[in-house]
Amino acid sequence: MTLVTRRLTTIIVLIISAVGGALLFEALLSIGSPSPFAHTRQGHLMGWAGLGVILLVFVYPIKKRLCRNDRWPRGWFQVHITAGVIGPLLIVLHSGAHVHALVPQLALAAMAIVAVSGIVGQGVHYLALRTLNDRRQQLHEQGLSPDEIDVRLRRMAAQEEGFRLWQAVHAPMTLIFLALTAMHVAGALYFGGM
Amino acid sequence: MAYPPLPTTVVPVVAMATVVLVVWLGWGSFRDPETLWAPGNLSRYHADVARCASCHEPFRGPVSVRCIVCHSETRFAERAKPAVATFHREVITQRKTCLVCHTEHRGALAQITASAMFNPHGEFIFRATGTGSCSACHQFSATFGDRPILLDNETVRRLLEKGGGAHRPGRMANCLTCHTAGRFESEGYEQPKE
Repeated sequence: MTLVTRRLTTIIVLIISAVGGALLFEALLSIGSPSPFAHTRQGHLMGWAGLGVILLVFVYPIKKRLCRNDRWPRGWFQVHITAGVIGPLLIVLHSGAHVHALVPQLALAAMAIVAVSGIVGQGVHYLALRTLNDRRQQLHEQGLSPDEIDVRLRRMAAQEEGFRLWQAVHAPMTLIFLALTAMHVAGALYFGGM
Repeated sequence: MAYPPLPTTVVPVVAMATVVLVVWLGWGSFRDPETLWAPGNLSRYHADVARCASCHEPFRGPVSVRCIVCHSETRFAERAKPAVATFHREVITQRKTCLVCHTEHRGALAQITASAMFNPHGEFIFRATGTGSCSACHQFSATFGDRPILLDNETVRRLLEKGGGAHRPGRMANCLTCHTAGRFESEGYEQPKE
């Protein structure tokens, strides 16, 4: 098992555990109540809290695009990663396993795709790219020609290119996620009251 | 570590996909709003209600004014048991909210009345007290599912005295635990030692 495969397996296990834990916690909060936690006032507040945390995620890409000449906003990138994990978990707690309507189902699916692609991008693709570059550097120092290096690292490069898919998914899916979330919030306020 | 930029076609394609999705969901909201927005199926009691607006007022949620259109005083007088009719007549005239005791969208077979969903004492309590509703002994909060408060009235006092110590807050679980087979004489209870 390579370093990248091990990292991917760890991330998959962590994601499943975190989502399973959030669903279990929601089920525990629902015990002894006539309504599932997700359908109570506290459950709705959890949704607003999750949305608030998720909105923090957008500070980083906005700053990055608007202040191109400034140095890379490392602090906001940390906020981006942290809020991108905690926000979706709060939303899972808000929804529980009681998703019935299509709009929240789609919004939840879009959120999952955005969050998972981001985690894979930062946790797996970054590692694959760094490992590939380090190995290329090593082979270069050993005196191999660029063609020989390409042949030796073909499999590794293919793996890195495969994980690069996260990039094509993460940012574009965010637009769909935002549209669906706006619809879900508008619908909840329209039918459930302000 | 810089990533290669996304192809320029990604943004217009995703924007177009988002617009198509939003239009499709908007169209679906008119054709089949329940599938897109309802948090659960309507109960069998309201299965014939076809329009969301029959119960929901925009941005105010489900309101009692809409309930009364069908569940009028006249209808209670004609169809309900006297105790139930009297109780609901008071609710209607005092303009209390129906949502304190009733809920919806919990599935076709779900109970939608709080007392029917959660009556820890069982039906025996009504026979023992001669009352017809939970509100004879309990005050319910405006939030569905909140724990009701025990009233200090004649009915409650009489019931607490009757048990000779067995009937007291915290011990009033299912009556049939002691009143086996629905008999007024209790079994298996020993007076607490002073």
